[in-house]
Amino acid sequence: MMIRIEPDSDIAIYTQLTNQIIEGIAKGDIKPGDSLPSVRAFAADLGVNMHTVNKSYHELEKKGIIRIVPKSGAIINIQNGYDNELYTRLREGMKPQIAEAIVFGMSEKDIQNLVKSVVDEFKKSID
Amino acid sequence: MSISLLLCIVLILFLIIAQTVIPYLVKRTVVFGITIPEQYIRHHKLNQFKKQYSIFTLAITLVALAVYLIWGLSNNVSEEQIVVVGTFLEFGIIFISLTFYFYFHGKIKQLKRTNKWTENLKQVQVTDLSIRSQDEMLPWYGYILPMMITIGLIIYTIMNYDLLPDNIPTHWGPSGEPDAFTQKTPFTAVQMPVFLLLIQTMFLGIHIGTKKSGIKLSVTNAAASKRRQLGMRKYSSWLLFLAVLAMTILFTFFQLTTIHPNLFEGTPMSFILPFGILAIILLATVLFAITVGRSDKTTDPVIEGDVTDIDDDRYWKGGLCYFNKNDPSIFVEKRFGVGYTLNFANPLGYLIVFLPLLIILFVTLLLN
Repeated sequence: MMIRIEPDSDIAIYTQLTNQIIEGIAKGDIKPGDSLPSVRAFAADLGVNMHTVNKSYHELEKKGIIRIVPKSGAIINIQNGYDNELYTRLREGMKPQIAEAIVFGMSEKDIQNLVKSVVDEFKKSID
Repeated sequence: MSISLLLCIVLILFLIIAQTVIPYLVKRTVVFGITIPEQYIRHHKLNQFKKQYSIFTLAITLVALAVYLIWGLSNNVSEEQIVVVGTFLEFGIIFISLTFYFYFHGKIKQLKRTNKWTENLKQVQVTDLSIRSQDEMLPWYGYILPMMITIGLIIYTIMNYDLLPDNIPTHWGPSGEPDAFTQKTPFTAVQMPVFLLLIQTMFLGIHIGTKKSGIKLSVTNAAASKRRQLGMRKYSSWLLFLAVLAMTILFTFFQLTTIHPNLFEGTPMSFILPFGILAIILLATVLFAITVGRSDKTTDPVIEGDVTDIDDDRYWKGGLCYFNKNDPSIFVEKRFGVGYTLNFANPLGYLIVFLPLLIILFVTLLLN
């Protein structure tokens, strides 16, 4: 899977990495059990500081998406369902986005379609 | 014509050709040390500058070579003079080509600025998560074999210490006969193989350093950059290993003939071996430079949107020396030439390359 970063973007590089890895898993490009490159190799290939990659890996670990195994590196976890905690966190995260949509006059149906289109985009990649 | 002159002429000719064709063998989006977005790489000025550089460099250095050849063929010149002047000429050729390089480097820098080639393009860096599994560099443990040979040679020398002559050769002339000696002591007896071991360690360090360094892909031509980067890693590891093997064979041969002067007597080994090895290394270098140099020129770029690779010119001092504290790479692809150069911001690189050389220099100057 290709990873693409934009150093001039407002979004921090480590966040760009985190988001792309999560999207990669959602699309099925990266599978549970796969391992991510070592921090040094990944940073060298992107020409970024090792701290940047490290920060992204720790964020992914905190979210429970990967586990960092000494010597083996970062491995994608196998997920078995979500809990209330995750549900609440995602809900809080979506709130400002949905609020913005309402402010600009999007109906409930429009918002549902928007969510559906995103889900379809990821699903399409799997099929 | 003497062997020294022939050898010097071959090496100088080799250097001239290398310096002349460099602009056509470097990474496709770098012209005289300046990053040019793929969108503008076919600009007529860039091609014109490359052509001018090659013609100027070739013409001037060939004239210098002709003068050297005529001088070398005259009767009152000694072998030593030929070698010394030949070496100076090699430095002169590098100086001449670098002068032209800097001239065009400045020109292109200006051209890029006035045309605003990077301003309307989004700079991105890409990598492939699976790129490391496609890396085909030789395994590091291949170096164990030549290192074991060297250690064996050291042990063998110590066991046969009494057989060694009172004066130990430290330098061999073009005819394969030793022409410089040092007094025999337990240290000088094993000095040559110890130096060999240091060089082998250095090459192993370079190998591991390269392995750990970045594989830099280009967003506008991922396929070509991947082929070039992976090819360069693979073939440079072959070339490096070939050089280590060649040096091991040569040093072992000289050490054995020092211990047993009659071992290869009557055979032309002392003549064939050094020249054969030199020829093989030169040939391998040419093959390496052409294979890697052409590897990213064969496919056309796929440019999606207004994107380009990150303009890392600010990390390249004079377009030649890479200095980037953020990049953990120890070695990076050269901008003017084919192969690797140091990331001068990474102290590990100094340790790998300069420490063994400093030790050898220090020991040679102080202990002999």
